[in-house]
Order: sequence, then C-alpha cells, then structure tokens
Amino acid sequence: MPELQDASVIVPHGTVERGARHWWHDYAVMVQWHLASLRVWLVTLTIVQLLAGVGFVLGISLFFVRVPMTAALFVSTGVPVINLMTVGLILGPQLVADQKSNGSYEYLRSMPVSRSVTAAAWYTVCLIGGVPAMVVSLGVARLRYDLPLHVSPMIVPAVLLTSFAGTMLGYALGHAIGSPMATRLITQLLVFAIFGFAPILFPLSQMPRWLGTLNWWFPFRQMAVVTRAALTPGGHAAVLSAYVVLGLWAIACAGLAGRALGRRP
Amino acid sequence: MTSHPSAERPALSRSSAGSPDDWTFRVEALTKRFGALAANDSITLRVRPGEVYGLLGPNGAGKSTLVKQTIGLLKPTSGRITLGRFDLVADPDAARQLCSYLPQVQMPIDSFHVVEAIELAGRIRGAGARDVRGRTASLIDALDLGEWKDALGHTLSGGVKRLVGFCMAIVRPGRLVILDEPTNDVDPLRRRLLWEEIRSLGAHGCAVLLVTHNVLEAEKSVDRLAVIHKGRLVAEGTPSSMKAADRSQLRLQLMLTPGTATPALPPWAGPAVRVGHNLVTAIAEVDASTAISWAAELTNAGVAEEYALSAMTLEDAYIRLTSHMSGDGDDDGDA
Repeated sequence: MPELQDASVIVPHGTVERGARHWWHDYAVMVQWHLASLRVWLVTLTIVQLLAGVGFVLGISLFFVRVPMTAALFVSTGVPVINLMTVGLILGPQLVADQKSNGSYEYLRSMPVSRSVTAAAWYTVCLIGGVPAMVVSLGVARLRYDLPLHVSPMIVPAVLLTSFAGTMLGYALGHAIGSPMATRLITQLLVFAIFGFAPILFPLSQMPRWLGTLNWWFPFRQMAVVTRAALTPGGHAAVLSAYVVLGLWAIACAGLAGRALGRRP
Repeated sequence: MTSHPSAERPALSRSSAGSPDDWTFRVEALTKRFGALAANDSITLRVRPGEVYGLLGPNGAGKSTLVKQTIGLLKPTSGRITLGRFDLVADPDAARQLCSYLPQVQMPIDSFHVVEAIELAGRIRGAGARDVRGRTASLIDALDLGEWKDALGHTLSGGVKRLVGFCMAIVRPGRLVILDEPTNDVDPLRRRLLWEEIRSLGAHGCAVLLVTHNVLEAEKSVDRLAVIHKGRLVAEGTPSSMKAADRSQLRLQLMLTPGTATPALPPWAGPAVRVGHNLVTAIAEVDASTAISWAAELTNAGVAEEYALSAMTLEDAYIRLTSHMSGDGDDDGDA
C-alpha cells in the first residue's frame, strides 16, 4: 500500500477548477514547464540572439567609412525589435511543428490547463528569451555610436506589445496551420521578408511607395515604430495608429491560435 | 483543491448519471465518422471506479479514436461520453482535468530531469509542491527508477522513458486514467512493478482504461475488457467469460520453418491464423492425439521447427473475434 504521505495525491480528485486563482497557479507551473522544455535551447538561443544583435549593430559600420547617424540609429533601434520577435515568431512555430511531427502535440493539448494559460506562459518565456538580448544590443549601440537614445516609459508597452504580437503571430502559424512542413516553410519565408522588405532596420522612405503602404498593414513596421518611438527623443508620427494596428494583429492571431487549439475535428 | 460552483454541470439523465459519488465512465452509442469511414461505430461501454478495463483491438480498430474523443481532442459524430456527472463531450475542460492520459508516443521530456518532469506533471494536475514531491519519490522507488532520477530525458532508454511517462500520468491521477500501451519497451521486471501500480490506482478508486493489443498481458491484468474491431465493439466481458466459447478446445501452435508455405490444415482443425512463422489453430480436446501426430509429422518433414499444444488463452478468443494475432510492442498506428 502507498505511504500515508502521498495518499491525498493518489486519491483522484473529483472537481473541475476554473477561476483566477487556478489560472495563476497553472500559469506559474506552465512557465516552469516551458522553461524546462527549452532548458538547453533557451541558453543557446539567448547567446545566438546576443551575437546576432551585437553583430548587426557593429556590422553596419563595415558598410561605411563613416557611419551616418541615421543608419546607426535605425539599425540600433531596429535590432531590439528583431530580438524581441525572434523567439515567439520564428522559434515558437518551429517548436510546434516539431511537436506535431513527433506526436507529442496531442499530449500537450491534453494537459489540464486552459489555452490562455499555455499562451500566456509561452509569451512570458518569449520575453525572457528576447529582452536580455535587446538590452545588450542597445547598450553596445550606445557605446559604439554615441547615439542620442532616450528611453521613455513607453518602452514598457512597446516591448510588451511587440513581443506579444510576434509571439501570437508565431502561435497562430504553429497551431492554425495543419502541416508542420508548411509552418516551417512559411516561417523561413517570414525571416526573408522581415529582413529584406520590412522597414525595421532602414527607413520607410527608402522603399517604393506601394511597398511602404503595404507595410503599413503588416505588424513588423509597426513594431519598429512603437519601439523606436520609445527609444528616441522627439515627437513621432503614427505611433498611436501603430499601436492600434499591432494590437489588432495580436488579438486576431491570438484568436486564430486559440480557435485552432480548441478545435475538435 | 476545491470545487468552483460554476464548474458543476447539470445532472445527466437518470439512465446514465449516478450519485455525486458515482464516478463511472460511460460511453453510450458513440459513433465517429471520418467521411464514409466509421472509426467508432455505436460503441457502448462502462468502466466503474476501481476497475481496470482493457480496450483491445488490432491496428486501426478505433481504440485511439475513442480515447481522443474522451480527452476532448476529437468530437463524436454522435453518442455520449460521461464521467460521473460530467459530460466530457460538452465540457472538454472537465475532460482534461478529470482524465489522466499516457499517450502511446513518448512524452516530450528530452530536456527535463526525471524528477522534475514527474513533479511538474503532478503540479499541472493541481497537486501541491510538497505532496507531489513525496508521491514522486514513492513512484520512483516503486518502479525502481532511482538510478535515473536526476538524468535528463534524452539520455534515457525507451523503456525508462516510458516508465517516466507512466509516472507523469499517474502522479496525480484523474478519476479516469487512460494508459495507451503502458508497457511498451519496458523490461519484464519493471513491467510487474508497473502492473502493481496500475492495480494500486484501482484500489484508490480510479477507473483505468488500458489500451493495448498485447492480449496475453491484458489477460493477466484487467478486470474486464472489450475487443474493438473495425470500429465496432465485438465482445466484452471478463477474460474468463471471453474464453468460455473456447472451452473443450485446445490451442495448437506450429513454429513453421522460415521459407515454407502454410501447410494445408486437416478437417479437424479450426480456422488458422499465421503471423510470421507462427501458425495458430484451435482443435477439439478429443482430437489431441491426432493433432500431435500431425504436428510431429510436419516437424519431422522440416515444415515446422517445433509445435506446442496448450490450453486456450484469451488470445485465441481475440484471434477468433478479429482474425488478428496480438503483438507485444508493435506500433499501433491506430485511427
């Protein structure tokens, strides 16, 4: 017979828990679960993020004999955006694709936690994976280029929303697309599109007008707008609309992913 | 844990609902169609608390489809699934909280330490940190997993990983514990320990649904069982009652020489099933001496390497019902 000390654990419970207190308990445990499941990768990813961020910031100087302030400013304030979105937008959907391929996806879906708990815990992990690299990248930029950075309190909502939108977009890509291979291909395509055709590391004015207009409707440019506005002095046009567009993308993607996760064919 | 008032669902109809303490698992006329294919076809079964219930069937029989509907991953085309007073189809949140599940594939624990994986699984299921620590230690001790308790998942053998997954499923058991091929890859000694733990779950009031196609193992371990074939429940009962139709019969097994064709069966032999080099048929007890002579002739002629005559087993009933021989650790690939 089992020992007395664990008798209360063995006796099956007969209640269904719902409510805020239960939510926070599950959230705390799921953050631990996600961190443990990424034990090796999160450290490696953080190092890669640091190297990539610092590499971008310093690498831009190789293009110029004397680095223009505009170029330094755009790269230095654009790299943090890349840092913030990488874990959720790129790594996230690829992990889900792997789970679908190796069969563990159904076990994870059968866990007795709500979809919002799982999503919130994963968002937290994405912040943990992105913020340190962002801070280091900014620090290196400040030292290298002596930039007129001005970190305003708006950095908090900017960081939170940029990371949230990236995480939810990745979440939707991972969960709402049935084929793991399609998820991987689209993720790769996104990396290409973000670096080449989204005005994150360079000014919008350097793009053809039609591409600039198109970018207005996508979240990546808006991530750069809100983050840059919180890091540089002066007034910034279109910040409010950027928050709105970004927020709508985040909500739409969260809804799409939630629906896919709750779908019972 | 305490019950949230809003969690209470309306009582089910008198025919299917018991008292608040009745945690019987009921499947009623469950049908699941994928296009024209009926993966589950009007299945009805019941598992009482404390009962270990085997769900047997060959690959593609519909066992996993039934399980996925139970834990809220698939929605039935028609029919009901209830656990006590909870309707698991209408309330998938309740399904996930009240059912513990060990999937057939390995748990995703490559980056977890063994103890950590089990404890986190228990805490996700609502157990307190201190309680779950004690329970984890007990399970590790009971299943003789001590030497791996601090190891990372990716360093474990398939059998040890399976046992860790089993611990994760039962560290804080639900009212219904669903175990899909729990003994796959597990060594014979620890299999015995694992079965003791499964019996212990029953003793504590859990209903245990054991999905397997290892009939020989199920025969020794389950209280009752159902055989599912092509989506339909074709037989249900205790292992003894399932064998009742085979009384006064014997099992003749021929281990054929590799490369030889299946020999023509004499008229006194029943229908035969060949899997690999094994040919199994049923004979009447009165034909025993004739059967031994026939089998000995085949052995002398080099058609068979050896033969065995024994009492009928549950597997023979299973073969009769499904025309399949059971396997041990085969990949299910169930629909």
